[in-house]
Amino acid sequence: MIKVENLTKKFGENEVLSNISTEIKKGEVVSIIGPSGSGKSTFLRCINLLEKPTEGTILVDEENLTDPKTNILKVREKIGMVFQHFHLFPHLNVLDNLTYAPMKVKHLSKDQAEEKARGLLAKVGLTEKETAYPSSLSGGQKQRVAIARALAMEPDLMLFDEPTSALDPEMVKEVLDVMKDLAHSGMTMAVVTHEMGFAREVADRVLFLDHGVLVEEGEPNSFFTAPKTNRAADFLEKIL
Amino acid sequence: MNLDFSQIVPYIPFMLEGIWVTLQFVFVAIIFGFILGTVLALFKIGSIRPLRWFADAYTSIFRGTPLILQLMIIYFAIPQLTGYDIQPFLSAVLAFGLNSSAYVSEIIRAGIQAVDKGQTEAAQALGVPYRQMMIDVILPQALKNILPALMNEFITLTKESALVSTISYLDLMRRAQVVGADLYRNFEPLLFVGLLYWLMVMGLTILGKLVERRLRLSD
Ligand SMILES: Nc1ncnc2c1ncn2[C@@H]1O[C@H](COP(=O)(O)OP(=O)(O)OP(=O)(O)O)[C@@H](O)[C@H]1O
Ligand SMILES: [Mg+2]
Repeated sequence: MIKVENLTKKFGENEVLSNISTEIKKGEVVSIIGPSGSGKSTFLRCINLLEKPTEGTILVDEENLTDPKTNILKVREKIGMVFQHFHLFPHLNVLDNLTYAPMKVKHLSKDQAEEKARGLLAKVGLTEKETAYPSSLSGGQKQRVAIARALAMEPDLMLFDEPTSALDPEMVKEVLDVMKDLAHSGMTMAVVTHEMGFAREVADRVLFLDHGVLVEEGEPNSFFTAPKTNRAADFLEKIL
Repeated sequence: MNLDFSQIVPYIPFMLEGIWVTLQFVFVAIIFGFILGTVLALFKIGSIRPLRWFADAYTSIFRGTPLILQLMIIYFAIPQLTGYDIQPFLSAVLAFGLNSSAYVSEIIRAGIQAVDKGQTEAAQALGVPYRQMMIDVILPQALKNILPALMNEFITLTKESALVSTISYLDLMRRAQVVGADLYRNFEPLLFVGLLYWLMVMGLTILGKLVERRLRLSD
């Protein structure tokens, strides 16, 4: 589904990602972990071109994102993204947050979009918040709305950038539960997270980044119990 | 002290009519200035260099010279250069609208840049095209934040509109002068239209507060 080849990203002289190659298959859940500043967010943001890769290619369903002829908007329609700080539209209520893009981008009718949105709100357990504005929601509720908003576009792939890092501890679970459901429903997911429990339990594969280098990737159980590299071992020792 | 307001009574309808005359061109100038100001603001934050340069130069010129000079140039220079006999109303709308757009564009630019960058990213990630994103996501949030500053600009424009009396446009101010010349007393008519200006500005202020309160409902 996604093939990253020799991806390099520089901000000026600062090389943030170095020659990364990997693949994410359809239905796979990949966790991206690594120390702060290692380039996890940048890697994720390159996949939907919020950052422009300096070198290398990214293929999404055989479509080359780095080809100038590619319609970026079309590609982004198929890739949902969930941010650490939610970024809900504060001037729209919950339902309108969910229906906005399907109506404006995919040209669904209002009825179609609302029906779909209500289904998703039920799925994330927020049916009664339909007319609430984002500012009246808790962090966990905001993030669940943000996930539903991304799903409303019916993406083939979901990107999560530390979706629980800005939440109070008691709200982490409600968001992770929604993500687990999503993973079990067969969604392809790339999740940057500090929740090692989630990575271990839900992910099919773990990518470990350090200083912009993809140091190690593998199946979570063996990665967490017996990392192959010293850098991964050091990192795990510090956080576990 | 020799004040006699009874003398201006016959002239009151004439002066009240000035409210309408003033409001008419102020209203058109505000709308014109707001639309042009929005476009200039979008030029300023956009990625097209010549447009950015144009908008900055425009702002610099219209903020850097007196409004009365701009008004005179439009009123006197256009007929001289083109032969087109421009009406006071059109000159006034042009001068005030063009001038106001320079200030409005700065207010809106700052308002747009103050909107959280995450909003842009969220819209982009959903595949929303730039234009649509600006109209539906960024501008509404920017406008809400800058409403007090915009209201201020509109109030300034309303008061400064008295300058058009210099091109013999029969606005509120000009009417006070006409009445003053007729009666050989200036103080009473000036005081009277002063009250009318104040009432118009109060009206605008209250309108602004109402709009602000409506927008704040979503918080
Ligand atoms: N827009 C930018 N301009 C310049 N440098 C940037 C930009 N975005 C990120 N960086 C730099 O790139 C490096 C990697 O940043 P990135 O946000 O990808 O790290 P991260 O692994 O997500 O870290 P964290 O766990 O703290 O979120 C950092 O050194 C950061 O300062
Ligand atoms: Mg990050």
